[in-house]
Amino acid sequence: MAANKSDALKTILNTLSSSSGDIEASAVVSSDGLMIASNFPAGLDEDRVAAMSAALLAMGERSASELERGGLEQIFIKGEKGNLVMMAAGPEGVLTTLTTQGAKLGLVFLDMKRAAKEIARII
Amino acid sequence: MKQRKIIFAGPVGAGKTTAICSVSEVPPILTDVSASDDTRERKQTTTVAMDYGRISLDNGDRVHLYGTPGQERFDFMWEILTKGGGGLILMLDNARQDPLADIKTYTDAFSQFIRDQRLVIGITRTDVKSTPAIEDYREYLDLFTLRVPILAVDARRRKDVLLLIQTLLSLRH
Repeated sequence: MAANKSDALKTILNTLSSSSGDIEASAVVSSDGLMIASNFPAGLDEDRVAAMSAALLAMGERSASELERGGLEQIFIKGEKGNLVMMAAGPEGVLTTLTTQGAKLGLVFLDMKRAAKEIARII
Repeated sequence: MKQRKIIFAGPVGAGKTTAICSVSEVPPILTDVSASDDTRERKQTTTVAMDYGRISLDNGDRVHLYGTPGQERFDFMWEILTKGGGGLILMLDNARQDPLADIKTYTDAFSQFIRDQRLVIGITRTDVKSTPAIEDYREYLDLFTLRVPILAVDARRRKDVLLLIQTLLSLRH
């Protein structure tokens, strides 16, 4: 990918983290599970996170349509120590974020939706 | 009526998704998305989570078919999908660079499961490339003292895939 593209994506991700203290880290992943850009802390295995994001999003999409819930808007996973939120960013991308435990989810979803739209335009 | 679960594994493009689509009596559940990695040289789309299909046997048993993603970055799905499984069908693409090395990769990755359950190997695309021959695979497996049925199959043919499934289910473990 062109350096300016990946810089642009990094900027979007950094804006996402700084606009709300609730979002600890985020990443853009291709829908077949490859990392495109991230500001994840060192130590996380980015390849595995990317593959898992793609698998979850694909299962979410298929489950929503199988159970007649329409197109997928987001995947939300609540852990004891925080949340994981995923959203499609265009047909080829996935936006994944890690949030704090008490994150204000309405705002997180809104910020992510905005970012996903921008990301979709770039990738 | 018994419920059984079997798993299709193997490298990208070996025909796992195609095999499940060929035999499933229900519309299969697929998670194929457009490929952006080197898979793209071979095909447009690739499985990222799982495939699911189902067939009923003559005795009324139901066999649930689960297909795994081929790329190793999805190995967490291999672990998830083998849970509760009763056997593994390893699909190998004869036209790939080194199908014998592929055997090693996948029998290593699924070694625990193979030890406890049954295994059958299906070789696809022997029409595109005729070597290695079935005997070569057998010799290679002998090195690991793995006694496994090996069949040349066309994943697009229902009859071939059924034969793989029946062979697997007829094995004792």
